[in-house]
Amino acid sequence: MVWALASIGRVFLDFLASTGRLILFFFQSLIQGLKPPYYFRQLFHQFWEIGYLSLPVVGLTALFTGMVLALQSYTGFSRFNAEGAIASVVALSMTRELGPVLAGLMISGRIGAAMAAEIGTMRVTEQIDALATLSTNPQKYLIMPRLLAGIAMLPLLVLVADIVGIFGGYVVSVYRLGFNPASYLKQTFDFVEVGDFTSGLIKAAFFGFIIALMGCYHGFNSKGGAQGVGKATTYAVVSSSILILIANYFLTALLF
Amino acid sequence: MTPKFTLKNIKKSFGHKHVLQGVNLEVFTGESMVIIGGSGTGKSVLLKCLLGLIQVDSGSIKMDGKDILEESLTQHEERLQDIGVVFQGSALFDSLKVWENVAFRLIHAQHMDRKQAKQIALQKLSAVGLSESVAELSPAEISGGMQRRVALARAIATQPHILFFDEPTSGLDPIFSSVINDLIRRSVQDLGATAITITHDMNSARHIGDRIAMLYDGKIVWCGPAHEIDNCDNPYVQQFIHGLPTGPIQLETDIRHVA
Repeated sequence: MVWALASIGRVFLDFLASTGRLILFFFQSLIQGLKPPYYFRQLFHQFWEIGYLSLPVVGLTALFTGMVLALQSYTGFSRFNAEGAIASVVALSMTRELGPVLAGLMISGRIGAAMAAEIGTMRVTEQIDALATLSTNPQKYLIMPRLLAGIAMLPLLVLVADIVGIFGGYVVSVYRLGFNPASYLKQTFDFVEVGDFTSGLIKAAFFGFIIALMGCYHGFNSKGGAQGVGKATTYAVVSSSILILIANYFLTALLF
Repeated sequence: MTPKFTLKNIKKSFGHKHVLQGVNLEVFTGESMVIIGGSGTGKSVLLKCLLGLIQVDSGSIKMDGKDILEESLTQHEERLQDIGVVFQGSALFDSLKVWENVAFRLIHAQHMDRKQAKQIALQKLSAVGLSESVAELSPAEISGGMQRRVALARAIATQPHILFFDEPTSGLDPIFSSVINDLIRRSVQDLGATAITITHDMNSARHIGDRIAMLYDGKIVWCGPAHEIDNCDNPYVQQFIHGLPTGPIQLETDIRHVA
C-alpha cells in the first residue's frame, strides 16, 4: 500500500517538475525572443516550412475527411429523411472541429517531429553549444521563430483545410449522391457563420503553439545521441497530440 | 605575467559521477595551453565550464581577474564575443552553406552586411586552405577534414583573442591532423591569442602547446612546458604518452556523462 502511494507520489512530482521545466523553457524563450536582434530570415524560413510545405498534407487530409463526412452523413440522415442537412453538417463539422483538430494532429506528426529531430540533432552534435559561443542566444534564434510561425501558420492552414473539406463534401454530394449544386452551396452559406470559422482558427493558433512548444522543448532537451533524438521526436509527437485533444475540449467549452 | 585564466579548486559532478574534483590551473596571456588526458576524464566538461556552458558546483574561474561565475547573462554574452571555439565534431550548422557558417557571428552578432561578411568568410576559408568553390557547399557535402578547417575558419572569423579547441584532430588521418595542427599554431600566432586545447593526441599536443597539463581523476596531475613532457618523471604522464596498459592510471569502466 505504502509502496503504491509512493509510486503515485513520485509520478505526480515528476509531472509537476516536467511542467515547471516546460513553463520555464517557454518564458525563457519568450523573454529572449522579445529582445533584439530579431531573426526575420529564420522566421520566414519557418513560415515556409510550417505553412507552405504542409499544404499538401493538410489539403489531402481535409479533402478526404470532407468526402467521407458527406457519405457517412448521407447514410445516417437518409434513415429519417434528413439528407438536406448534409451540407450544413459537413460545413459546421469541418470549420468548428475536424479542420483544426485533424490539421493539428497532422502538423504535429509532420512539423512537431521535424522540429524535435532537427533541434535534438543540433543538441547532440554540439551545434546549440556552438550557437552560444557565436554570441547567439539559442532560444532566441531557434525557439522563438518556430513558436511564432506555429501560432501564425496553423490558422492559415486550417482555413485552407476548412475550404478544401467543404469542397470535398460538395464533390461527393453533387457528383456521387446527386445533390443540386446550387442548393448545396446555398445551404452551406446559409448555415455557416463567421463565428464557426473564427472559433476553429482560434483553436488552430493554440494548437500551433502547442506543436511548436513541444517540438522545441523535447528537441532542445534531448541527450544521448541518435536514441535520444528518437525519443525526443516520439515525446514531441505524442505529447503535442494528447495536449491538442485536451486543449480542444476546453477551447470548445470556452468558445461554445 | 598576468594569468588570462585562473582556475581554483573547480569541482563538477553529474549525479554520483565526480568528473572534476578540484582542478587548479593558470593559463597566461598569449600562451597555448594543451590539456591532455584519457577519454572520459572530464576534459570537455572543463572546457565547457570555462565557456560557461556548464555551471560548476564549486570553485572559481577568473578571466582577466574577474570571476566569470558571477557574471550576468549580458556580461557572459559580451565575453563570448572575444572567444572562438572549434568543437570536437566541428558542430557546423547543417542548414547553412559553408560561407554562412564562417560568417555566422559577423552576420548575426555583429550585424554586418551579408555581402561584406561573405568576403571576410572567403578570406578566412582561403587562410585555412579552402577554395571559393567550397563556400557554396553545405557542410554535409565536404569531408571531415574540410569540416574541421571550416570550423577553424569560423572560430577565427572575428579575430578573437581567445581560442578553444576541443579534440581538434580526433577522427582525422595523420596528414590531415598535421595540417590542422599547423593551421591552429599559425592562427594562434597570427592573432596573438590565448589558446586552450584539449586533446589525447600527443603529436597534436606537442605541436600546438607551449605548456601541457594532464588531467586525471578530476585533477591536474602534471603541468609543464611542452618540451619537457617526454623527460618528466610523472608516472601518470609517462604511462599516458607511451600508451602503456599498466601503471597508475586506472581505466575508466563506468558510465560516461553525456553533456
